[in-house]
Formats: sequence, C-alpha cells, structure tokens
Amino acid sequence: MRLFQRTIHDLHQMLVDREISSAELTESVLAQIEAVGEKTRAYLLVTRDLALRQAKAADERLKRKRDVAPLTGIPIALKDVLCVKDVTSTAGSKILKGFLPPYSATVVERLEADGAVFLGKTNCDEFAMGSSNENSGYWPVHNPWALDRVPGGSSGGSAAAVASGEAIAALGSDTGGSIRQPAALTGIVGMKPTYGRVSRYGLIAFASSLDQIGPMTRDVVDCAVLLQAVAGHDRRDSTSSQRPVPDYLATLRNGVKGMKLGVPKEYFVAGMEPAVEQSIRDAIGLFEQQGASIEEVSLPHSDVALPAYYIIAPAEASSNLARYDGTRYGFQAGSGRNLIDEYMQTREEGFGAEVKRRIMLGTYALSAGYYDAYYLQAQKVRTLIIEDFKRAFTRVDALLGATSPTVAFPLGAKTQDPVAMYLNDIITIPANLGNVCGVSVPCGLVDGLPIGLQIIAPGFREEVALRVAYAFEAATEFHKAQSPLLGAAA
Amino acid sequence: MPEPNAELSSRQVEHVARLARLGITPDEVDRYRDQLRKILHHIEALNRADTTTVPATAHPLEERNVMRDDVREACLPVEAALENAPSREDSYFKVKAIQE
Amino acid sequence: MSAIATRYEVVVGLEVHAQILTESKMFCGCSTDYLIAPPNANTCPVCLGLPGSLPVINRKAVEATIRTALALNCEIPEFSKFDRKNYFYPDLPKGYQISQYDLPFSRRGYLEFDIKGETRRCGITRVHLEEDTGKLLHAGTIDEAQSSLVNFNRAGVPLMEIVSEPDMRSADEAREYVMRLRAILQYIGVNNGDMESGQLRCDANVSLRPEGATEYGTKVEVKNMNSFRGIHRAIQYEIERQSQVLDTGGKLVQETRGWNDARGLTVSQRTKEFAEDYRYFPEPDLPPLDVSREWVDEIRATLPELPAARRDRFIHAYGLSPYDASLLTSARPMAEYLEDSVRRGAPAKTAANWILGDFSRLLNADHKEIQDSAIEPEHLAQLIQLVDSGAISGKMAKQIFEEMYRAADPGPALEQAKGSSQISGDAELERIANQVIAENEKSVMDFKAGKEQALRFLIGQGMKISKGRANPGRLQEVLASKLVNPR
Ligand SMILES: [Mg+2]
Ligand SMILES: [Zn+2]
Repeated sequence: MRLFQRTIHDLHQMLVDREISSAELTESVLAQIEAVGEKTRAYLLVTRDLALRQAKAADERLKRKRDVAPLTGIPIALKDVLCVKDVTSTAGSKILKGFLPPYSATVVERLEADGAVFLGKTNCDEFAMGSSNENSGYWPVHNPWALDRVPGGSSGGSAAAVASGEAIAALGSDTGGSIRQPAALTGIVGMKPTYGRVSRYGLIAFASSLDQIGPMTRDVVDCAVLLQAVAGHDRRDSTSSQRPVPDYLATLRNGVKGMKLGVPKEYFVAGMEPAVEQSIRDAIGLFEQQGASIEEVSLPHSDVALPAYYIIAPAEASSNLARYDGTRYGFQAGSGRNLIDEYMQTREEGFGAEVKRRIMLGTYALSAGYYDAYYLQAQKVRTLIIEDFKRAFTRVDALLGATSPTVAFPLGAKTQDPVAMYLNDIITIPANLGNVCGVSVPCGLVDGLPIGLQIIAPGFREEVALRVAYAFEAATEFHKAQSPLLGAAA
Repeated sequence: MPEPNAELSSRQVEHVARLARLGITPDEVDRYRDQLRKILHHIEALNRADTTTVPATAHPLEERNVMRDDVREACLPVEAALENAPSREDSYFKVKAIQE
Repeated sequence: MSAIATRYEVVVGLEVHAQILTESKMFCGCSTDYLIAPPNANTCPVCLGLPGSLPVINRKAVEATIRTALALNCEIPEFSKFDRKNYFYPDLPKGYQISQYDLPFSRRGYLEFDIKGETRRCGITRVHLEEDTGKLLHAGTIDEAQSSLVNFNRAGVPLMEIVSEPDMRSADEAREYVMRLRAILQYIGVNNGDMESGQLRCDANVSLRPEGATEYGTKVEVKNMNSFRGIHRAIQYEIERQSQVLDTGGKLVQETRGWNDARGLTVSQRTKEFAEDYRYFPEPDLPPLDVSREWVDEIRATLPELPAARRDRFIHAYGLSPYDASLLTSARPMAEYLEDSVRRGAPAKTAANWILGDFSRLLNADHKEIQDSAIEPEHLAQLIQLVDSGAISGKMAKQIFEEMYRAADPGPALEQAKGSSQISGDAELERIANQVIAENEKSVMDFKAGKEQALRFLIGQGMKISKGRANPGRLQEVLASKLVNPR
C-alpha cells in the first residue's frame, strides 16, 4: 500500500513510530495529485510549498515528541469555502477570484495548531450551492470512480480528493447535504455535525442557519479523529455551542447491541434506485444481526423539508452574498456608468447561473408582501421538522436511510433542470433543518459506483452516529473498496 | 396562504433583479421567470403543512444571550485591510459616483 | 406665517441616532475612536464584512440601550433579537445592516419637555440597537463627483435609534425634545451629545394636515441637521414649504429632503415612488436574547438622577425658577457645575445667574461647553463671596470674571481682585478695631475672661464693618494687641 492510500490513524502510528516522515507522506500525496489531478480536477489550488513547509515543521514536532496530535503531519485538503490567511480562497466563485483572506478560519487555526499539513483548496460548487460540483465557477470535478460522472456536491472536490488519494482526509461544508451526498457518491465517509458543533468563523457563508463544517475521510475512525480536532466552542462564532465535546473515540467501538435504530419510512423516496434501496435494506438487516432492534418510524414532514430548504437557504444566501459588490475585495467589473450600474455588472459577471438563480429566489421570498407566505411559513415548517426528529428520537437512538436516492450520475445529466438537481438532496436536507447530525458511510457498489448509508443521530450526539457507523464499517468491507484512481496505484 | 408565484411576471423578475443588484439581459428575464415559476411551483408544497398553531423557528440553537465584554482587540494593519481592494486611493476604498 | 397655525396642524416625529460610548465596536473588538484614526485603520474582517467573518454582540452596547430605554420610561420586552436590514450602499460593508425590526429592546416610552412653561409629553415608539455605517468622502459635491472614497472606521460603531411618536406640533417642540433627549443621553453616560461630529444625529418626519383632521398628511423626511438651531430652522422651513405647496393647490410627494444649512433650505434627495424594500429577516448569525427582569433591574440600578428629577430638586431645594432649572439641567456638566459651586459656599440663585448669564454668553461666543473652561466652581464661589461681602461691586465682578475667563489660569485675576480690595493699612485697621471694641462690650469682656472664641466673633464683626475688605490675618493681630494692651 502506498502512503497516500492509507488512513489518518494508520499514518499517525507510522509517523509516531518514525517509520515514515511527514515530508515523505506529503510528497507521496503531492505526487498522486500530480498523477491524477488532471483527471479529477479536485483542486482549485495546490499549496505545495506551504504543505512541504508544514510537513517539515511537523517532522520537528514528531522528532522531539512534543505537541504531537493525531493530525500532526497528516496532509489534509480544505474546501475552498474555508478562509486560509494569505492563501487564495474563492468559494469556487469567480467573484472572489484572487481573494487573499487576511485571516484564517477557526477550523484552519485548530488544524494548524495540531500540526496538520494543508495540501490546498478543493473545488466546490460556487458558494457551496449545488449537488454535482458542476456549478463551480472554475471547472467541474470528475468522480474518481467514473470520470464521466459527477462526484456530488457541493464538497465534490474534497470528496474526489479523498477518494482518489489526492488527500488523506478533507474538510467540507454541509448546508443541505454537501458533505454526505458527495461522500456517498465517491465511496468515502462524510459527516455533517450538529449546527453549532463546529465554528463557522472563516467559513464563507452560504446559509448561516444551516452551514456546518465537517470531516470527509476514508473510514469512521478518521472521521472521529478529524471531528475531534475541529469541534468545540469558539468565541468568534456566537452560534457555536458551549457544550463540551465528548471523546469520540472512547465510545466508537461500543457496538450496536441493544441499540434501537429507526428507519423513517419517508426516506424511501420515489425515484430511489432499486440497487440503492436494496443496499440500505441489507444494511438494516446487518444491524439487526448485530443485536440492534429495528423500528419503522415516521418523520411526517419530510416531504416539506425540501421546499422549506429552498426558501430558507436562498433567502439567507441572498443576504450573505450582498457583500460581493466589487468594492472591498474580489472581482470588479469596472465598466459601470455609475455605482448602481457597476454593482449590477459586477454581480452579473461575477456570479454563475445557479448562484444568481438562488439570489433571485431568496430576494423574492423575503420581499415585501411575500415574506409571510414564504420565509415565515418555511421557518414554521422548520419547527415541525425539528419536532419530527425530537419525537422519533424519544423512541430510537439513531435513524437509518440512504444518503442519496441515486448513485453518481453523468456530468451534464441534470444541469438543465434545477428542480431535478434539487431533488438529489431530498434525504439529506431534513438533518440540516432539524438540527441533528448525520454521517454517510459506504454501504455497497452498483456497477462500480458507490452507495452511501446515512446514519442520523440527535443534536450534539455525534458519538452515537459515529458508533453506529463504526459498527457497520467493522462488520463490512465496503469502505475498503478503492476507486480505480486510488486502487490502480497500489 | 396566497399563491404569490402564480403569475410571477417578467416585471417582477426585473424588480427582484434590481433589488438584488443583479444585471440581467432581456432573454435572461424570461428564462429566470420560467425557472423561478417552476421552482416556486414545487415550493408551493409548503402549504401542505398545517402551521396555524406552529411558531416559526427563531433560531436553530437553544443558546441565548451570547455576548462579549466591551474590550478592544487588535485591528488589521491598514495594508491588510486594503490588500484586496480592486480600486483604492491612498488608504481609502474607491467607488464609482453614487448618483443614480 | 401665522396663517399656518390656524389652517394646518403640524405633525413632527423624530428619529434620533446616537452613537453609544463604548471602547469597542458593536460586533467586533475594533476601537470606536474613529474620528482620530487614519482612514480604515480601525477595521477588521468583521467590520469590513470580509467573507466568513461573524458578529459577536457587545454587552455594554446592549445595556446602554436598555438603560436609555429605561430613562425614557420604556417597556423592556423579555425577548429580543437582531435582524438584517438589507440594502446596498458603499458605506455598508455587508450589504445589510444588523439592526432590530419587530422585537427591539424596548417600546412604548415617553419623554417630557417644557414649552412656554408647560410640560409636554412625547411618546417614544422604541429604542433599538444597530451598527453604524462607514463614511463616504466625495470629491466635489455628491452630484458631480466621479468617485467616492470609503472609510470604514465608523462602520460597526454601536448606534441607538430612538424613534418618537408623531406627537410634536411645532419646530419649537421638536427642538425642545432633542435638547431634553440629548441631556438624558449625556446624563446617563451613553452618548457625548456631539451633533456637529455626527455622534448624535436627528432626522425629522414632517407633515401637515388640516386642523381637526385625524389622518396624517404626506410625510417628508428631513435629514442632515447637525445643531439644535439647524433642527429648528429645517423643520420651520419645511412647514412653510409644505403649507405653500398646499395653499397653491399642489400635492406633496413622500420623499427624503436634505437640510442645507448654508442656504437655509431643504433639497429633495430621493423620492419614494415605491418604498425601499429592506427584506428584514432575523439575523441567523446571532442567537436571540432573553432579557430577564433581574438584568433589567441591575441596569436600572445604574441610572443616575435624571434631568427631570434634578430640575425639580433645583426648583425646590435651590428656589430656582422652573425656566432656569430646565436650562441648568439640560446638560449634565452645567448642572454639576452649579451643584459644585453651591457646595463651595455660593448661594444657588447667584451661582445660577452667573452660569446662565455671563458665563454662558462667553462660552456661546466661543462655541465652548462649561467643562472646557478653566474657571472652576471654586473660583466662581470665591468671586461671588467677594461681591456678597461688598468687597467689590457687581460691575467690577463682571470685569474680573471676564478676565478670569480669558486667562489660561483664572487664579491670579481672582487673587488680584481680592488683594486690591483688601485693607491692610494699620491706620484703617485700627479704626475698625476700635469700632469693634466699642460696639461689642460683652464679647470684649468674654475675651478678657479667657473665652478665646470671642476673638473669632470680634474678627467677624470687623470683617463685616470693612465689608469683607479687611485682611483677616492683620485684623486679628491688631485686635488682639488692642485687647491685651488697652491704651
Ligand atoms: Mg436605523
Ligand atoms: Zn472590526
């Protein structure tokens, strides 16, 4: 096995044992980026020099056995929505082309403090708006399992990087499924923590009441390790929770025996591919074998989660994206006759079609006369969705379902139909609206394309989701399947 | 519940685009109108939920009264603050004339 | 324009924006000293609206808002939140202002002020908290400039918006309201009251309606007044302009007009064909606030004596006229100056006359406030003492006061006044001593019998005879020697 194919916990042991150096490991991953980067197009920017510098510093720490953290010396990719001081951060948008943040996101600072190595900024849908990564302001990302297919989105670059060996792990962001869905479509583990678990400071906002940063990794242990490193209160984010962060590894291996797992009947949506449904049913059977009791539950407002999401997220986005006016940073058209004209031209040329569509939708939903019918109604529906989850979690410990109703679809298949594209997120969106956490783990392959199992746990009970996920992973081999780009290198 | 989108007009699309400071061409107006109508049609499903006695979610978190003390912290160096400015003059950001 | 009063009723409501005196900005740690800082030096990712930055509420600003609301007799709801007010302007870095919409920190209060000796009450709709914007610098006039320069040092400074009900019926009332409000803000230490530099700003909504009508007329918003005089003149101008339009059968348009102080008129800035659509919605980056009764009580306990209460005290304890008491309590430093002078022995009425008379005249001419003067309450008390004792005439005192005012240090002028009027000559002092001894036989006997304190009484009598001009030390010497060695 080559170094870039391994997991964080595996590599950590090798680094601590001085079997390898971080510099070697980083070179290995950088070489893989070189080898397959043109195929996946996962990165918008590779920070080679920074990575090698950080690797060298990590090796010092490892050598002195001082301040060694589980991520010391581990090469990690960062979704381009995360600000890194003096490193171009664009959120996949041309309107932020060349933007050099004068500060770093809190999660970036935490990883830096642990001695992680930053490989670069991964591609994503512009401002994280999309489910296929085809809305990137730069170029689409290709799925390492089938290059003519999408990797999912919006954290498609992070997903493809981890699935192709172009990173050991990555951070993504999830507003309506943007970590879990691409994780499912690229055969990796991806977790959306509970809103408030991870600081959003320095995360370029899409929808402020829904966005969460989370880990994208090769297995569940890595997922727990990376979450542990970034979770916890941050005084710079008023919406980051003060609750203590549990030790995620401590309960990871406790198994599911005696646990109650719920299967929401609404999650078997119309249009779900039969192979996906079969894999999920098989997974449920496996949990039963392991001693969990399975119960069908109902989340009756699941059908209105998608419409509520497509009001709340665009409404917040229309406001969050008002700052991109070409005055203080980013792209400026420069050709306007006066200021208002200049604003209109800057935003017309700087934003892509999907972003403009959502700004229009959100602006409309908030505008005079429509607020009550749309935004307020959506926030009421959100209350119902929160209550649905609360009710379900009085009966079960966690919920099981598919992450995506389909496997990765061909590039271009849905670009002409926004509504069809929006339906991709139909089973991931409720977790964002319902303030719960969810993780996607590989649970099968159909025609060489990965399928994801979604495990949803109550708010701030990430350890429960991870424990269930680990029990599944430990009993199966699905996570060991490697994409052709990753496996072929073996 | 009203059905505000039933006749989302091109004029409304233009108005919204101006509110959002998005320049759009005349063909785009029609395209946006059609797409938004279609999306809004799906969003109408919101009406299926009976919310007459349901309070709106004020904030997803239960946290309240998150505040900081009135203490000064370091500002950015002026050069860092202006580093990304597309147009500047001395230590100011520069914008086009404001007249409409 | 006496015709106006009989035909139209004037309706004025005021929106006052007051910067809150805090060390750091509303949502970040940047300094609020924007007036002295180089352009854009007081900025950070938060107040520049950089992608990814997030606000954190400054507790002191919240408490100052609630304190103000309490001083304005408002209700403080138990639940409050911030909202986003969305609009584009180059001085607004995020494309929205964090403000408060439907659940502000306070509502339904009132403010009382005096007009022609009568107390008037104006309703306060709400006091809410928001962030200030940056400042634009135009090359040339705003209409002609090819470009503007933006300075974000002011962006994010905490700002209270105090909205009145449309309860005022004249420009006089509006001016009184703002004077009284400013006094309260200064009293409770939340704002420095500086209108010229824009730390206190006032917009007026002015409309006219036929007398007896219940519906409001078309409202015009007037901006850019930066003094009490400006507020009065602008509203008066607007009343006259609107009545002229109505008199000639014209129709008023709802619009925003700017006050041009140099030209003495209002100029249309923008017409509200369709009202601005601010698309308010709850600020998702900030959890809401539970305003507990305990917290409100704690804040209430920090309130000092307010102008209205102090005014009443000045009337009752000092015997001042209601008019003088109002003037003296309109600014906290002036009221405190009076109290200090009284504490140093000055009779309240005399001190009040000095403060409202000569002192104010000199200060006004120099556009200065009482606290800027080198004359301390102690100096004023001593000067008054000189007059009261007859040592100097009132006319002389006025001259001396002006000398004291002009001097960097008022001490020497005061000392000189004392010195020049003093009687130190032996012959004259002996005459005084003789008169004292002749007129106070009993005290003289007491002294001779060993009662030391009788000498103090006799010196006092001597001072009285000399109208305070005798040098007390020398007088004591002369008196004592006469009593011990009678001729
Ligand atoms: Mg305001
Ligand atoms: Zn700041």
